[in-house]
Amino acid sequence: MTFADLIPTLHATVFVSGSEMETRPVQHVIASDLMSDVLVAHLDDFVLVTSLASDQMIRTADLVGATGVILVNDKHPPAGLTRLAKDLDIPLLGTALTKFAACLAIGKALEKGTPV
Amino acid sequence: MNRLPDLSPDKSPLTLVEVIYSTTIREVMSTDPITVERNTPMSTVQQLMRDQGISGLPVAEQGRLFGIVSVQDLIEALQQGKLNVAVSNCMTERVVTLEEDMPLSMAISTFSKYRFGRFPVLNAAQRLTGIISVRDINVTLVNRLLQQVSKFESMFDSEVTPGIELNRVFHTRQHDFENGGKASTTIKKHLVDHHVDRSLVKRVAIASYELEMNQVVHSIGGTISYRITPEAVEILVQDRGPGIENVDQALTEGFTTANEWIKSLGFGAGLGLPNAKRVSDIFFIHSEPGVGTTVKAVVYLQPKKEEKHETE
Repeated sequence: MTFADLIPTLHATVFVSGSEMETRPVQHVIASDLMSDVLVAHLDDFVLVTSLASDQMIRTADLVGATGVILVNDKHPPAGLTRLAKDLDIPLLGTALTKFAACLAIGKALEKGTPV
Repeated sequence: MNRLPDLSPDKSPLTLVEVIYSTTIREVMSTDPITVERNTPMSTVQQLMRDQGISGLPVAEQGRLFGIVSVQDLIEALQQGKLNVAVSNCMTERVVTLEEDMPLSMAISTFSKYRFGRFPVLNAAQRLTGIISVRDINVTLVNRLLQQVSKFESMFDSEVTPGIELNRVFHTRQHDFENGGKASTTIKKHLVDHHVDRSLVKRVAIASYELEMNQVVHSIGGTISYRITPEAVEILVQDRGPGIENVDQALTEGFTTANEWIKSLGFGAGLGLPNAKRVSDIFFIHSEPGVGTTVKAVVYLQPKKEEKHETE
């Protein structure tokens, strides 16, 4: 499954597409608003599910090599955040789902295992 | 009036000397100055000075300069009840002038020599073309120096080394969340651009970011220096205080002194230092309350026997 496969799954809005959205695989999910938690996770190929719409959230996603970010609860990213996501080439989606519902939907999609 | 500082070449930075010798008065002066004629009454001078907020008016006709009338001349005319007399009776006739092709340095030395607030500027044909004040010089100097500083900064930023080697220092400021993380992002990009293994890049990025954000959140500001060789990335973090009371406690996961608003930004969970230590091959911390904290973290880019140090 790639990050782009999550768009229909989450009925998501694409804020920033990023150059690798359709190629980089997704295997794990980290859901947190605490960036300190994201920084201690030992995972690769993960998406970050969060309701924290700050520059530091995108920087954290970049530094830990997240495949992409999903903003939950219908949060709209501020212009600066979208710009930074573009600069750092991090795909950024938005969904009306809650953090729990988004994780559940991604979990089900991962179980189905859409091939990359 | 504020005096200009001594800008003589032997006492000034080279950049400043270059600016004041390569800039001509023409580039600095105000053009199309408001002038009066010899038979203009002093009452008109009073009105012009009040309405236009100026303190000196050249007296000129068809570009030919006859004198200058200053606030001082106006005050004397007022005291003597001569508001209706012509400017020619009150003006200063022996005027010190500058020429528009002269370097700015000439204007500065003229201002230092005489205590006038402005000088009329003439062209090669001795016609009045402008007027120069200390304010004009200040504005030009500040603008030119800003341009020079930007040029130097961009030279520094674009200093590209062909290999992976890099020595770079970044500064952090307390609670500057807008710029916090930029150093780590830059270093991560450098390593990615030089095809360093993804898992190593991640370890450097995490160590760097945790230490950088620690400085932004907890210290009053400091520096992060990177020394990158083909063998290792060395991160040296030094702040100016306030220092850590108990380093062992700070290295315990979950211990934090961060307040609620910092936590609302996603930081301050008390995982930073232990996490930076976890991803580093060498980790050294020294802190002194009231002085500051120094952390050195090294991540090897080539296989090496692991060793870990904590405090001194």
